[in-house]
Amino acid sequence: MNRPMKTQLLTLACVLTLGISAYGGPGKRSVPATDQKGAAETAQNLRKINAAGTYGIPNIPPRHDQNYARTSKDLQPFGYVQPFKRHFLEQMIYSGPGRGIAEPGKLAAVKIGFIGPIMSTVSVATGGASHEETLGIKMLQGAQLAIEQANDKGGYVKRQLPFQLVVSNDNGLWGASGNEIIKMAYRDKVWAILGTVDGANTHIAIRVALKAEIPMMNSGDTDPTLTETNIPWIFRCIGDDRQQGYLLLDYLYGKRNFKRIGIIRASNRYGRFGVREIRDGSRRRGHPIILEMAYQLGTKDYSLQLERLRDANVEAIVHWGDATDGAAILNQMRKLGMKHPYFACDRCVSDDFIQIAGEDAEGIICTYPWNPMRQDPKLDAFREAFQKQYGEQPDTYAAHAFDGVNMVIWAIQTVGLNRAKIRDILAYRKEPWQGVTGAIPLTAALDDGGDVFLAFREKGEWHYYSRRDLGLSR
Amino acid sequence: MPFVYTEWQHFTTKDGLPNDHIFAVKADGPRVWIGTEGGLACYDKRTGKFRTWTEKDGLPWRVVSALDVDPKTGDLWLGMFGGGLARFSGGRFDHFHQLNSGLVNDVVYGVAVENDNVWAATTAGASRYNTVKRKWTIYTEKNAPMEEIWNYGVSYNDGKVYLGVWGSGVLEFDVATERWKDYLDPDGEMEIDLYRDDGIVHVITTGTSYIDRVLWVSTYFGMCRYDGRHWRGYYAKETGLPSDFGNAVKGRSADEAWYATDRGLAAVMDFKTDTWVTYTMDPKTHKGKAVVQRGSTVLKTIALEKTIPHNYVLWTEVDGSDIWVGTSKGLAWAKGSGYYPRLKAVVDNRAKPDASLTTGDASK
Repeated sequence: MNRPMKTQLLTLACVLTLGISAYGGPGKRSVPATDQKGAAETAQNLRKINAAGTYGIPNIPPRHDQNYARTSKDLQPFGYVQPFKRHFLEQMIYSGPGRGIAEPGKLAAVKIGFIGPIMSTVSVATGGASHEETLGIKMLQGAQLAIEQANDKGGYVKRQLPFQLVVSNDNGLWGASGNEIIKMAYRDKVWAILGTVDGANTHIAIRVALKAEIPMMNSGDTDPTLTETNIPWIFRCIGDDRQQGYLLLDYLYGKRNFKRIGIIRASNRYGRFGVREIRDGSRRRGHPIILEMAYQLGTKDYSLQLERLRDANVEAIVHWGDATDGAAILNQMRKLGMKHPYFACDRCVSDDFIQIAGEDAEGIICTYPWNPMRQDPKLDAFREAFQKQYGEQPDTYAAHAFDGVNMVIWAIQTVGLNRAKIRDILAYRKEPWQGVTGAIPLTAALDDGGDVFLAFREKGEWHYYSRRDLGLSR
Repeated sequence: MPFVYTEWQHFTTKDGLPNDHIFAVKADGPRVWIGTEGGLACYDKRTGKFRTWTEKDGLPWRVVSALDVDPKTGDLWLGMFGGGLARFSGGRFDHFHQLNSGLVNDVVYGVAVENDNVWAATTAGASRYNTVKRKWTIYTEKNAPMEEIWNYGVSYNDGKVYLGVWGSGVLEFDVATERWKDYLDPDGEMEIDLYRDDGIVHVITTGTSYIDRVLWVSTYFGMCRYDGRHWRGYYAKETGLPSDFGNAVKGRSADEAWYATDRGLAAVMDFKTDTWVTYTMDPKTHKGKAVVQRGSTVLKTIALEKTIPHNYVLWTEVDGSDIWVGTSKGLAWAKGSGYYPRLKAVVDNRAKPDASLTTGDASK
């Protein structure tokens, strides 16, 4: 065996071992069989990806899902008609020449892009008010921690180069996220990008990523339509509002036997698209939403919406919007004497919500994309490192960003510095990524198909319940 | 049989292109303008020579994503991916961007000249610039029926501007009345197309081309054709399309349209008989083939020394009898000597049929 080949194989072995430890979970002394299988599969995929070259497509069977997003029969649109075409069942393939681009020579660092709302903005797209910085800052902290930990382990192993996060603010104004992706792709020459939170801005960003041919990992936008675009360059490592909505629907109608649900939501894209599956699913299950009321971002008085909901004689109310709004709505509801059970989106599982809602928070139920109370040494280690670094506990945006960046780093360590191959190794991975947020199995649409949860506020604490815990079948 | 292009010429950086990643091609008489990821090029068909412009030559930004020529002035308009809009006139680039003009965003996907106006399809709306009055109009969800503002393609012909809008289907702007009309997927669902011919196949639209009162549309979920009364959807499973992922479309007539997909180039050569010719390149041998189909039934497979330089096709342009094809790995010129529209009862002796002359279902 010649020396370069030997070096390459040693590097690959090292990378695969790192990959195993990354998704195997600490505390396990031996490598589990599933991880060995995963490592073998990764090595095989890598050979096929490299063999495809400039003109070919890797000879790897694309992932095929039986039904989109594991949607149950009763929730499928036009469920009793066979549609002419079903989308997103077959994994998207990248068929361009990108795999033939050689790894560049002189580099000082391996750059990974970050785009998120980390500064206040006067965004039009988000409804005119600045409201997502708290989420973006947490996301940035999680991403930075992942980069630092990777650098502590030697950075980009193959060339002993440090990873570097190239940070952009997503201000959401006039499609600025598109300009930022251009800058990162062509000027900064990053290898992949993490971001962002706002649904509209993320859509703009992924369209640019498609043309510029750069992988994007999304860890903070739960808009279901994000991955319903047939773009082979976008991955999401967080359970979306479709999955969270399905679980809530099953709980509302299957467990609590409600018949009359009302919705109050933000008038922005997050609110509009967040409740879409709940609205459609309720209708499909024979219980159309009685009333859906939207409120402008920045409003302080929700009495109009709440009085209408009360007058509509709804049994329970679902809120989709930011935590501060969700808490203020809850307080005003209770002040109006409305004792309706209150359900909300995952953004309301936050300190801000609890601080504003106070005792009113007791008994509310929110959807949640993961179980942060899970017993997992890997999660414990992440919490400890995050606390040490930032003096506080990580939230969902930090944890998912940490997982997203680690997935990208794993891909870079495995395939080297080539955007198409980074995309490929993630897209063709069959084994779920075992992150701090739990298992992340990618669907054919490259979306997170893992478990989602309901968070119950009980005795002043959040408790998380899976579909199984709640005795709900699909 | 439909006409099959058998004479192909390829161009790459070795021939003088500034970059092999071709986003746009615009034929303009003896000149052919080419927008690439690394600059602008002009090919002179008379001399066979390229001229190129990069940032050091005054091109405002390296990535040229869209092109159109003003037939009245001869000016070339360039849409740049992250660089705004530029007019190339008299050897000078005039640069229009978010900070010095009414261009709504610098990420420009499409550009089209309509009378004295230039339209730019950007990632945050569409802009219309009146070159005589120097007046800009911005179209977003506030003054046009855009469910989303993410414009992807724009084309103009015969008094109508068509915007292909990501997430908002196709928008038609009638120049005479300045009225908008939207075309959306009637089922309203992202994950299915309930009925093939009930309207546009999907709202994530990438390209439009209007000719002979027929609108041709490409999307990332299939293609379609609209004659003002009836829609017809096209999917790879039952046509000559090599893929449902359509990057662009160019109509030549009400019967013929060329689709740029991520797995090859496909042309509906005769709408009425659903006859297709599909051009692909073998990744290993780099030789090509043209497959003639009626619906999903293969009529003939023709082996060719050369077709398209890469199967990832981003753009296609009709130039008289010829076709230009922009791919992510080079430019192709298909020469159409003897071209005829629709079908003809001919014995084609120019191309040697493949030994395995095929009949039956197309294998995608």
